[in-house]
Amino acid sequence: MITYIIYNLVQVAFVMGLSPLIVGILNRAREMVQSKRGPSIFQPYRDLAKLFNKDQVVSEESSWIFRITPYLVFITPVFVTLLIPVLTRFPLFFAFAGDMLAAGSVLALGGFFSALAAVDTTNPYGPMGASRTRMVSFLAEPVFMIVFFTVSFVAGSTIPYIVQTKWITPPAAFFEPVHILLLLSFLMIILAENGRIPVDNPSGHFELAMIDESKGLEYSGKGAALMKWGGYMKFTVLLIVFLNVLLHPWGLAPSLSPVQGLVAILLVSVKILGFLAVLVVIESSLAKLRLFRISEFLAASFIIAVAAMISQLFTGGAA
Amino acid sequence: MTTSLLFAIPLLYLLAAVLSLVPLGRWFARGLTIVATVGALVAAGGCAAQAVAAGSITAIPDWVGVDGFGALLLLLISFVGALAAVFSWGYMKVRARERGKRAIRLYHVNFNLFLFSIVMVPMMQEVALAWIAIELTTLLSVLLVGFENNHEALEAAWKYVILTMIGAAIALLGIIVLYRALQDAHGGPFTWSALQAAAPGLSPVLFEAGFLLLLVGFGTKVGLVPLHVWLPDAHSQAPSPVCAILSGIETSVILYVILRLFPVAAALPAVHLQNWAIAFGLISVGVAAFLLIQVRDLKRLFAFSTVEHMGIILTAAGFGIASNSFIAPYQMLTHALAKPLCFFAAGSALMVAGTRDIAGLRGLIRRAPLAGAALLIGGLAITGAPPFALFLSEFSIIKAGLSGGHYVAVALLVAFIVVAFCAVLAHINRIVFGHPEPLPKAGAPFPFTSAVALVLAVVPVIVLGVWIPGPIHSLLSLAGASIGGAAP
Amino acid sequence: MSGLLGPLNNLAGGLFLLNAFAMVATRQVRGCLRFFIWQSLCLVASAALIGGITGTIELFIVAAINLLTKPIIIPILLARSVPEDIHTRREIVQVLTIPSALLSALVIAVVSYFAGRTLLSAAAPLVPAANVPIGIAGLLLGAFTIAVRREAVPQLFGLMAMENGAFYAAIAFAPDLPLIAEVAAAFDALVIVLLVAILTRAIHERVGTTEVSSLTTLKEEPRP
Repeated sequence: MITYIIYNLVQVAFVMGLSPLIVGILNRAREMVQSKRGPSIFQPYRDLAKLFNKDQVVSEESSWIFRITPYLVFITPVFVTLLIPVLTRFPLFFAFAGDMLAAGSVLALGGFFSALAAVDTTNPYGPMGASRTRMVSFLAEPVFMIVFFTVSFVAGSTIPYIVQTKWITPPAAFFEPVHILLLLSFLMIILAENGRIPVDNPSGHFELAMIDESKGLEYSGKGAALMKWGGYMKFTVLLIVFLNVLLHPWGLAPSLSPVQGLVAILLVSVKILGFLAVLVVIESSLAKLRLFRISEFLAASFIIAVAAMISQLFTGGAA
Repeated sequence: MTTSLLFAIPLLYLLAAVLSLVPLGRWFARGLTIVATVGALVAAGGCAAQAVAAGSITAIPDWVGVDGFGALLLLLISFVGALAAVFSWGYMKVRARERGKRAIRLYHVNFNLFLFSIVMVPMMQEVALAWIAIELTTLLSVLLVGFENNHEALEAAWKYVILTMIGAAIALLGIIVLYRALQDAHGGPFTWSALQAAAPGLSPVLFEAGFLLLLVGFGTKVGLVPLHVWLPDAHSQAPSPVCAILSGIETSVILYVILRLFPVAAALPAVHLQNWAIAFGLISVGVAAFLLIQVRDLKRLFAFSTVEHMGIILTAAGFGIASNSFIAPYQMLTHALAKPLCFFAAGSALMVAGTRDIAGLRGLIRRAPLAGAALLIGGLAITGAPPFALFLSEFSIIKAGLSGGHYVAVALLVAFIVVAFCAVLAHINRIVFGHPEPLPKAGAPFPFTSAVALVLAVVPVIVLGVWIPGPIHSLLSLAGASIGGAAP
Repeated sequence: MSGLLGPLNNLAGGLFLLNAFAMVATRQVRGCLRFFIWQSLCLVASAALIGGITGTIELFIVAAINLLTKPIIIPILLARSVPEDIHTRREIVQVLTIPSALLSALVIAVVSYFAGRTLLSAAAPLVPAANVPIGIAGLLLGAFTIAVRREAVPQLFGLMAMENGAFYAAIAFAPDLPLIAEVAAAFDALVIVLLVAILTRAIHERVGTTEVSSLTTLKEEPRP
């Protein structure tokens, strides 16, 4: 029992500790692909340390929402980490506290408050970015729903630990169209929700064009650090859902022994690195979409998810 | 002997197509085409005689062969082809001044290839090959439809190819469904006769689905309403000899393929084919009859008349199902004789007056007496006036319908035919008689060969209006047996 | 190994359907070509996989022929006979907006599922049964593509997609269709592409644009 809780805490520490590194590696890899040297992969750690040591400047016009949002944005991915299989194949202590729908809602809570906080300031770019972020999230919601519904259609449950076993028994089920198409659709959602190319340029500094970056514009000091870190953790959490739950539970520890736990940390990191490589290729070869084309991008993602469900109907029902 | 005659028909067209590429002077391609088509007509006559004598000709068992209906169609195709070739001589002489010799050569190559593809359809006993032959007829006529190379002709060609190819893809699915039905009933080779033999064992759902898909798919090519929208455009923008082939015989050949399924359906009581056929046929006749009232272009007038007659043939097939009646092939025969005359007359009017617009053409009988008389005879013939052939065939359809008890259908049919009759003759009357107005564009002198073609086209129409020769009658009975379904 | 062929065939079917959707939604002419090539490759893969599952040799030949004609020869033919600038066109104004077109395509796919199920229940049981509804969906989506696209070349690809769909249903429904028919149909596709390309070139020269849905002059109204 205690070991379960310890494992859960180790999982949270893994996500909290590794998420800045993941984003650092991604940034460096993108720059290297463009033949530049790029910042060190530990740069996000240094940025966070620097921001924690600075003073906060808070606008007089803002309310309690502005002050509470960084904490919310930081805490919500931590909650989600408790629910999903990060390191282990078997359910841990908090595993049945919520399923994937709950995880999606918790993440949406963080997004909701960060949009409110952006409106709360009197910065003109805040509400603009907030409305765009809301549009993207609003269009991505149906896709999330369809993905979760299709998954529950196939696996009979939406608890992540149960879902991850269904894809690989029998082994040939990996290639079922419902699986591959869901992966494709969820990948597009990851790109949309985290503000990566082609939906948004994460390294852009032009406020008029910002979609996701604008939520952190007004923050300074501790607040900015928490917002950044929370953003990194959200990215990592969605990655882990994609890799461990939807793709394949390779590398997860099958039992409680500490050795296996350490091996799992290593293997999951390797998996994440592999995915980052794919992400770098996608980001370097596409251009950012015009704002009104984002609805088409997300409509395509929706259609792919529904095509996954239809494929399941065709091959499951008709066969 | 007869199998070589059977193969001679398409081979002659193919040879003429290839040799027409040779630039051997002004008259080579045109003359070669006339020689080839007349030769094919003779060969088809031989095949028809053999079919009457022996019942059918089998060249390659289960693949290539004709029975009575097929032999009748071969005869009709080669006849219309020969007439169109004769008319093309004069027509192309007039057009050659604008288009150049190379275009005329390519026209003749395409013309012969088109006839080659049409002739293949009745010869194919294998159903899938019949589909391929039908696809080829569309493909080889696209460039002919767009021959005039102006805005309207290209638009007509585009609509033609896209809409008919959609129909062909749907028909492909129908053929696959029928194949599955045959295989499930352990039928063997995929031929029309095998389908008929296996008929009681076919799954009704599969057959009905396959038949409907074929009806919709090939019905697009036949011009059944509401899939007819490309037909007035394509059949009016093409050069007149090509229009004669398209309207006169090509749509009938596709309808023949649909009719081959009727005996199969007659053996499956669960499929109420008769009602569907009569209903669809009457819809086509009715819509075409009313559309005929408001046409403004002479060739579109005759194109809509084709839609009407395809509807009449389908209705006739519905009346005659399971009763061995030859009314549908008979109507095909008379239509194929009368339609080329109409289009040749329209083409002559176009040559003489330079316009197709009904409002612009007046007093044709004064300007070009032969063309005007031909147009008048054609109009009367195609709407079923006595003493022309179509009157007899339509009369026999009505008689069969009445004896089968379809009183409502016959009443509707008669009403629609009368409406069409009045509409067409009102237009023709306006064109042929009346005071000739000054023309916007000077016409060309009327070529002699076109006159010859007109006369040649008129003769059978009048002759068959009063007397059916013995061999033709036997051929028609054989054709009726092919789609009758009951024991011959 | 043989347990893997079934799901792989299903995957080919899922991707086939996806490519049919993509052809409806893409704006560029080049995009349409790309999705058509991918769809043909899915057809080839499915034919080969079903040949492996049921042991029908003819299907391998069908797969080889289709591999030769559709993804390879057709793009070469088009590149040669249609002027270059047609390939770079995109449709700015559409008949339906992309999300509405995709949703209608979805409805069509569901309808074809029911149609396919009716046909399958009436026939003897098949091993790769998913092909039939997917093939019917491909056929109907190809027709829908022709309806919503304005440019000439995407309409041609819609036509080819219809044939792809019919063949996709055929390789499951009628795997032993006479080989000569399959060969002839494959070459027939080449003839279609060639002729339509020639016609497109003529339209481009004469009318000045390949936006064929704007050609609507042939009507019963009096001409000016």
